[in-house]
Parts: sequence; C-alpha cells; structure tokens
Amino acid sequence: MSQSLRPYLQCVRSSLTAALSLSNFASQASERHNVPEIEAQSCPEVLLNPLTISRNENEKVFIEPSINSVRISIKIKQADEIENILVHKFTRFLNQRAEAFFILRRKAVKGYDISFLITNFHTEEMLKHKLVDFIIQFMEEVDKEISEMKLFLNARARFVAESFLTPFD
Amino acid sequence: MLLLDYQNVLIESLLKERFAGGPPVSIDQVVSDFDGVIFHISTPESKSKILVSISIKCFPELVQYGAQAVMEREYGPYIVAPESGYDFSVQVDLDSLPEDQESKDDLVRRVSLLKRNIMAAPFEQAFDEYHHLAEEASKYTSESAPQGVQEGGETRSIHYREEEAIYVKASHDRVTVIFSTVFREETDRIFGKVFLQEFVDARRRAIQNAPQVLFQNQPPLELEKVPGVNRSGSNDIGYITFVLFPRHLTAQRRAEVISHIQTFRDYFHYHIKASKAFIHSRMRKRTADFLQVLRRARPEAEEKERKTASGRTFRVQS
Repeated sequence: MSQSLRPYLQCVRSSLTAALSLSNFASQASERHNVPEIEAQSCPEVLLNPLTISRNENEKVFIEPSINSVRISIKIKQADEIENILVHKFTRFLNQRAEAFFILRRKAVKGYDISFLITNFHTEEMLKHKLVDFIIQFMEEVDKEISEMKLFLNARARFVAESFLTPFD
Repeated sequence: MLLLDYQNVLIESLLKERFAGGPPVSIDQVVSDFDGVIFHISTPESKSKILVSISIKCFPELVQYGAQAVMEREYGPYIVAPESGYDFSVQVDLDSLPEDQESKDDLVRRVSLLKRNIMAAPFEQAFDEYHHLAEEASKYTSESAPQGVQEGGETRSIHYREEEAIYVKASHDRVTVIFSTVFREETDRIFGKVFLQEFVDARRRAIQNAPQVLFQNQPPLELEKVPGVNRSGSNDIGYITFVLFPRHLTAQRRAEVISHIQTFRDYFHYHIKASKAFIHSRMRKRTADFLQVLRRARPEAEEKERKTASGRTFRVQS
C-alpha cells in the first residue's frame, strides 16, 4: 500500500464510522412513510454536513450523512481513457447487480463513479464495522482490479501484435 | 489458436471426408466465412459431383484486378459456370479424382482456400507491379526517375465489407496495404487503439523485419485521390497501413504474406472481442468476491440449542 493511500483509507474509515450512527426516523412530511432522508432532502434539519475526503483531484470520497441514512460516493482513479472505459464498464456491471449488494445505489451521484446508500435498516441487520470494512476493501480492490485489467489488456495486445507480425519475419 | 486459419475448415473437413471414400451422399450446405462471404456446397446433378460456390461482396472489383486469371491458374479444369446467386463455382468429380493421396490433399487445400485465392488477386497484381517498377527504377538514379516510377502505380481498392475496405498500392521499393476499419462502439475503439499501438511498437521492439505498421484516423496520403474514402477523420474510423518491404515480396514468400495479411482485420477484431469477453468474466468473478465480503457483514443467526418443555433436545439426523 502506498504512502498516501494508507492515511486516505484511514480517514475514510473513521469518517464513515462516525457518520454511521443512524437511528430510525419516520418521515416528517407524510404519515407512515419512512424514507432515507438524504435521498428525500425534504427537511433541512435532519441533514448533516456533507464531507469530501480527497486523495487527489481524481480520487475522492463524498460522504453525505443524515439522521437515518448515509450516502457514500466514490470517485475511482482514472488516469487515461483505457482506465476510464474500464471503470465505466465495471461500475455499470456492479450497478446492474445493485439488488444483490443491498447498500449499492443504482445510480452514482453526479461527478462520482459509484455510490452507496446505507440506511438505519441496513445498520440494524448488518454489523456496522463490517459494512465499513466492505467499503474500504472495495476501494482498495477496485483500484487494483482496474490496473490489473489494464495490464492484462496491454500484455495481450503486445502478444497478439507480435504473433501476427512474426510470420513476416 | 492465436492466429486464424487461412482456409475454410468446414469445406476442408467436408471434402476430406468425401475424398476418403465411402458411399456418396448428397450434400447441400451453406457455409459462411469472414467478411460476409458465403459458400454453398451442393451436389446438384449426381452424388459424386460436388459443387462449391462462393459469394463475395467485392467480386466485380476483384475481377477487375485479375481474379479470373488467378482462379484459372488455381482451379483450371474444375471451374464451371457460376451457380445463380453466387459469384464463382468450382466442381469436383469424385469419380475422376487424382490417384495419389498427395494431389488429393492438394486439391482439398486449394478448394478450401477459395476465399483466400479470390482475395489474393489484387495483392498478386500489386506485387507484380512492384517487381516491374523496381526494375524500371533501377535504370534511374533517385533524382532523375520519371514521375510514374517515383510515385508508383494506381491504388487498388477492395470494398470487402459494408464500410471497410483494403487498399493496395505498389511502388518501386515497397507495397503499401491499407485497411480501413470501423469501430462500432467506444470500448472497441479504445481497445483497438491499445492493440494498434502494440502493432506499431512491435517492430521497434522485437521483430525488426516485420512490415512497418502505421495507424491514424485520417486517411493516409496514399488515399488522397481515391474516391469513396471517408475523410471525416472521426475517431470511429481507423486506417492501418502495412508497408511491405522487398524482403516480403520475394517469390517464395509472397503466397504466405498474401494469406497472412488478409487475415489481419478479422484477427484484430477477434482479439478485441476476446479481450472484452475476458474482462467481462473477470468482473463477474470480482463482483462475486465483493458480495462475499458484504455477506460477512450480516451476523450469523446463532444456533441455539432448542429444547422442548420436558427438557429434550432436537438433533439433526445425519
């Protein structure tokens, strides 16, 4: 793990742990409704201050806490157009499987690549620290995965080009 | 499995099986190949006469570049009038096959290379033109050469697919083969770029004697006067130029070089698709891993010992 990645992840971990103190909170606007306040944005008094943690301009995490839900958006590092397309493909792939992921938001918040929405119901039935672990592990692995895919693509391209040109030699 | 075969495997295996003997059966098969080529193998008259027809999009162009002569040379006595709906047909009579196994195999090979041979015509013509021009040019020094020799011959265009074409141009010291290719989507375009970059670099790095490969989105200067070239310079269209040097154009290598270069487009796109498929399966696996991690967050329902009121316990029967 590189020098700047460790404090970055540590910071995300502690901010997230702090943000995840959620309680059940029924809607104030309509009776017998219970919606994630961060999505509804109907009453300002239940929203807390949003927070951005950035490692650099290409990699950042946006945490929006509220009384009964937290929205976490991640911008994944994209150095060039290959990484760009790989990130796009990967996040789309995940989003299509959002149902299985419980906490994954179907659509990323504008300006970010992938978003999670954790409500009080999630923290009630799942272990909070494990949820944080998941987010952190996701951030670590997604970078690794993207760069591995890129390396694979380059290696394959090289091999393919060489084997096509060898018969001419 | 990395390189594509030049021949059509289905035709090859079918003919091999027929030539090996056994009772004649009637055949009626439509076989498709790369680049929208369609073969029809049938036994219209009697079970012993196998007719192989090919339909290829750019046949009129190929005839113009001397396909007829190439086919006469390759298939001579086997050529028959083309079947309706197809461009070219050969017929093999099982009763009058060559005696020895070797010439039988040779015939199978030649018939299965039908597409390659038809497509080879403009390349052969260009290679001949190169030899002719090289001879001409050797009479002059580089300054005094007349216009025609310096510039080289006309550009032969083969529109072998809907939107894609091969251009072949001979000059006195090389033959230039240009492929135009269309990328259907953004991913293909970017993957294609990675691949082509490696083609361009391969010569510098490993294979010094390979043809020079160039890649650009704008049509190269060789195509300046060619009608019907898309000059929009859009990113979806790529022009890949292979510069074949004299060492590739010698008589003993030319057949191999022609066969090989024809497969470029299919080879290239095949590997783009294959990479996409691999990355997809990789993502699938990675997603499963993530799910596994998330599942750990769910506390396991603790297995308590259940007892009845009288104090007896349940036990799972094994």
